[in-house]
Amino acid sequence: MHRVLGPESFEGLTRDLHSERKVFDRLATSAASPSPVPKLHSPGVRATVPMVVIQPSKRFFNLDLRPIWEYRELLYFLVWRDIKVRYKQTIIGAAWAICQPLLTMMIFAVIFGRFAKIPSDGIPYPIFAFAGLLPWTYFSQSISRSGISLVTDSNLIRKIYFPRMIIPAASVIAPVVDFALSFLILLVMMAWYRVVPGRAVVMLPLFVLLAIVAALGVSLWLSALNVRYRDVGHAIPFLVQFWMYASPIVYPLSLIPQRWRALYSLNPMVGVAEGFRWGLLGKQSLGFDSIAIGASVALFLLLSGLVFFKRMERVFADIV
Amino acid sequence: MNTPAIRAIHLAKEYKIGEAQHNTLRDQITARVKTIFRRSPSPKPEHQKFWALNDVSFEIENGEMVGIIGHNGAGKSTLLKVLSRITEPSKGRAEIHGRVGSLLEVGTGFHFELTGRENIYLYGAILGMGRVEIDRKFDKIVAFSELEQFLDTPVKHYSSGMYVRLAFAVAAHLDPEILLIDEVLSVGDLAFQQKCMQQAQSLRESNATVIVVSHNMFSIKAMCDRVLYLSHGKVLADGPPEQVIPMYEEAMLGGKGALDTPRWAQAKLESDPARRPVIITDMQILDPSGQPRKMFDFGERVKLRVKYEMRQFLRDANFVVALIRADGVGCCNYSSNLDGFKIPPVSGEGEFELLLPPLKLVADLYSVHIIVWDSRFEQLYGAQIGGSFHVRHQLFSNQFGVFHEQGEWSARTVGQADAGANASIKVGIS
Repeated sequence: MHRVLGPESFEGLTRDLHSERKVFDRLATSAASPSPVPKLHSPGVRATVPMVVIQPSKRFFNLDLRPIWEYRELLYFLVWRDIKVRYKQTIIGAAWAICQPLLTMMIFAVIFGRFAKIPSDGIPYPIFAFAGLLPWTYFSQSISRSGISLVTDSNLIRKIYFPRMIIPAASVIAPVVDFALSFLILLVMMAWYRVVPGRAVVMLPLFVLLAIVAALGVSLWLSALNVRYRDVGHAIPFLVQFWMYASPIVYPLSLIPQRWRALYSLNPMVGVAEGFRWGLLGKQSLGFDSIAIGASVALFLLLSGLVFFKRMERVFADIV
Repeated sequence: MNTPAIRAIHLAKEYKIGEAQHNTLRDQITARVKTIFRRSPSPKPEHQKFWALNDVSFEIENGEMVGIIGHNGAGKSTLLKVLSRITEPSKGRAEIHGRVGSLLEVGTGFHFELTGRENIYLYGAILGMGRVEIDRKFDKIVAFSELEQFLDTPVKHYSSGMYVRLAFAVAAHLDPEILLIDEVLSVGDLAFQQKCMQQAQSLRESNATVIVVSHNMFSIKAMCDRVLYLSHGKVLADGPPEQVIPMYEEAMLGGKGALDTPRWAQAKLESDPARRPVIITDMQILDPSGQPRKMFDFGERVKLRVKYEMRQFLRDANFVVALIRADGVGCCNYSSNLDGFKIPPVSGEGEFELLLPPLKLVADLYSVHIIVWDSRFEQLYGAQIGGSFHVRHQLFSNQFGVFHEQGEWSARTVGQADAGANASIKVGIS
């Protein structure tokens, strides 16, 4: 008995042979006639090529943020990826960005507004809760996503060089889109409840910025810690839950006794939530002290987070 | 003045291995607590240290193509990681002049949910290209990948071959001044591999500096003009491929040294060679004129000179020379008995020569096994690995099978013949 090759294997073989010939013919001709190739890097040009020095870093910390600027295109594409991928293969797509805070608000309105009768500074409870939930949802999304971001993208860290900070930064920027979408819902609700914002609304971007700074600061800490201690990833859901009840989201700041206010305001989200209600809903008083305290804490978190992250960054590729 | 593209000065990288890594807070805390309660202030738990790179220095000139070879764990990948700034060295310093592109893995950062088109942008950005640059190269990338129809399909529906093709198409258009590549050429089908080689060739023409880590000696030989051989984190050899690769391959094949017993024969023979009826004491691989050689072109002849020692008169000794390809395929045997030649039995030493017919084996590395049977291939008297040699041919690799020879062709046609058919392409095969 002879072993017979099937026709398809012959076909495959001839195809391979054919394409290989072509390649080799081309290779052969290119080798046979060495065309004068223009040199890309003449010595004169090379002198301007920046030299990169690779050596163990000696300084305790190094706050050079220029590489992040150099890699801003990558930051842009990572943000774009996060946004693109988030609602892939869903039926309602980006509507989820709206549904989540909306449904949460409805639950809160029933449980805390209706049953528990939590005061809301004279503002209708649903819109009171939603104005707090809006920045809170952004904040919690940011830290839950970026806290685990370095580990999720560990393949990038192990195989590609770029400033590592771009990864948690992208996860803090991407939820801004969700935030903007649900902000539209808030506008609809304000129209429904006939709430007209006062002049204080011009301050609103500052509170958005404060939320971003706080989120970035916390994220830098959590994401860097999570590279070494995976416990962090498991702790984040509880941290988020605890943090929400430690912020005036479902209840007003006025519920906190005066003597605890300063301590309470160490939480930057206190200032953010109160600021949102003040700017949008025309809530009368605003404790500037608590905002100042919160903003200082947020800045401290950001700066210390930068230092910590920069220090940890060197070993990410080895331990992630 | 000509500055080198890469200069590495006493580079070293240390890794801690073993129990010293506490990956959860709980481990860390228990470890701390244990230290507190330990009676005597015992020394800190010994960190198992391991130098993945140990004092590596070299200079690579602008436009050089350098291959890095070495066994697993020799430090090749660590070196690339240090040079591409993924991880910091523990000691030493490296200077790099020029835009670096590093490809330590093809398709790192691809997202399965995104389409081919979207992944071209994402992967391009990950490799360090800007949006404008990708826009400009987009059509060329798509043409290179040959995936035009699947551009808007999510990558998760791609076959692994398509996936690699798309990734490599992006990577191939990076055009950096310095390119660091790890093993990526060993992917894709044959035609695609050749395409990648061609791309590497054009990089060379644009005077880019390329460093390749590979286990595939064929591609190293085809591409590189210099090879660094790493072993245990040190540079063992640095020179032209013809010199360095045989050193590596010898170490790979021989392991403990030449004249070892092949694994399959170990069970059938006395473990102590001195108690076997016959042993091979030396084998030389020569060209027909008698000069030692390791590299032969397809069609050349190889002469083997074998010295043996017999303990007893083995009148029916049947010497067999087997050529085993690097991937373990037994390619051919030459038997003294079947060829009607009698190797003189002695009680003592002897020597014989075997001139092989012109080589028809495809380009690869072959080890020579000397096996001694009785005349009926029943009783095994001895078996040893004598050495190895290369066959070189630019076309016939092991994807073509074991050997290649020309056939005699004839054809008959009915109808009108094409006048231009006589001037058909003649592919020269040397």
